[in-house]
Amino acid sequence: MTLAFRDKVLPVRGSLVMAIVNRTPDSFYDRGRTYALEPALEHADLAVEAGAHIVDIGGVKAGPGPEVTTAEEVDRVLPFVEALRTRHPRIVISVDTYRAAVADAVLRAGADLINDAWQCPDPELPSVVASYDAGLVCTHAGGQSPRTRPHRVEYDDVVDDVETVLCRLAEAAVAAGVRRASILIDPGHDFGKNSRHSLAVTSGLPQLVATGWPVLVALSRKSFLGEVLDVPADDRLEGTLAATAVSAWLGARVFRAHDVAATVRALRVVDAIAGNRDLAVGRRGLA
Amino acid sequence: MLVAAAFVPTPPLLVPEIAGGSAAADEELRQACRAAVARLLDADVDHVVIVGQAPEDGTLDGSWDWRRFGVEAPASAPARSLPLGPAIGDWLLATAGRPIPAVRHHGVTVALPAQACAARGRELAGTRDRVALLVCGDGSACRSEKAPGSLDPSAAAWDDAALAALRDADAAALLRLDPMEGARLMAAGRAPWQVLAGAAGPGAFEAAIDWADAPYGVMYVVGTWLRKESA
Repeated sequence: MTLAFRDKVLPVRGSLVMAIVNRTPDSFYDRGRTYALEPALEHADLAVEAGAHIVDIGGVKAGPGPEVTTAEEVDRVLPFVEALRTRHPRIVISVDTYRAAVADAVLRAGADLINDAWQCPDPELPSVVASYDAGLVCTHAGGQSPRTRPHRVEYDDVVDDVETVLCRLAEAAVAAGVRRASILIDPGHDFGKNSRHSLAVTSGLPQLVATGWPVLVALSRKSFLGEVLDVPADDRLEGTLAATAVSAWLGARVFRAHDVAATVRALRVVDAIAGNRDLAVGRRGLA
Repeated sequence: MLVAAAFVPTPPLLVPEIAGGSAAADEELRQACRAAVARLLDADVDHVVIVGQAPEDGTLDGSWDWRRFGVEAPASAPARSLPLGPAIGDWLLATAGRPIPAVRHHGVTVALPAQACAARGRELAGTRDRVALLVCGDGSACRSEKAPGSLDPSAAAWDDAALAALRDADAAALLRLDPMEGARLMAAGRAPWQVLAGAAGPGAFEAAIDWADAPYGVMYVVGTWLRKESA
């Protein structure tokens, strides 16, 4: 399976890491750490050095909060995309947005992938992505409006619902002209789901992998891990890595992560166990 | 004739199997609901009508079923599952640990106007039987920054008006709760409470509140209305 976003082609085997860089003052974990341009660029440099394959830039916090207009969102993400493109000409640049106008602006500036976390509420988004031959992440959000919290959400079968919705979104993207090799699907942990639903989509990953679409999971420090462990976001690294390893074993390909170095190392071990990665050193008992 | 009503909130976390390890933290709320249901059953009733918000108006069929909230299927899962509000009432009755009279389930939509809710209440209670209502619903879901609907500055006043009406057994005041505003504030109790108001009619009721708070940003009110019967 090959992934291609514009002129970038990603490795066929093993896991890929998408590093999170939030140009927001209020995202749940980093809380404004990379809101300013310089810290954001330094953070991205470190992520690339640590082995990230994709850098994902967000300009709007996922949860409820002050309204961020399209213009404000573009102001937050565009200068970063331009600067990152210059510093890292070959890295895959992803932008986390559900707005077609924002996607158009950042793709024009050299972004490769649009990460829509809200089940495509903007019908123009796939055709904008297609017009740049770029990539698209299709995410299940349970039909919730962007930036709303789940409240007493119910599913007959959450994994079936995720599969149905994501296949529909992916085929709609193909119909809009996006290449098949440029589409990822994301079950949307915590989005329109309670924690049991998020655990169910994790154990149900084989059903999503069986669709043939490459699966991206965004698990990093999320609430469902916090509810398993009863710990705040600062104490969710081990839970994140455990869920990451299990998801990789069950066939997910791309992992959106805050802790890039730790995630890369965990995934290299899983990939080695799965036979998708060779030893970095092969000396034990071999001398 | 309505002889008794209990009102309970409908958060899924009321059910220990759904809440998991944090179930104990809400035991006080759960016990308050159980106490209110017990007073309802003490009122020598012929049948209980469970009323809650539902996608469609009218009689409902089925039982509670928590698989939809991600809990593993029990050995004997019901063929038809009730919507959340009526399901919570059904579960509270089924687990009350005592014989229960005949039970019916009735759903009202979030959009049903106040006077239509009242008419529904009069209809449900307008028999010769001694009828009890188990009214399942919540106040606003916008009481804090972390609330499901985030903080809404008008939520507290809306909830205060609802709580005062329930505390005073004031049917007319319940009917003044604005449906549009209630829907905007995600209050799943507005329509069921207005059914209660219609069922109560002009009769005099003794109200008791067991619990009223919004620990997770959703307003929960637990209590009963018991008809003042002449000796």
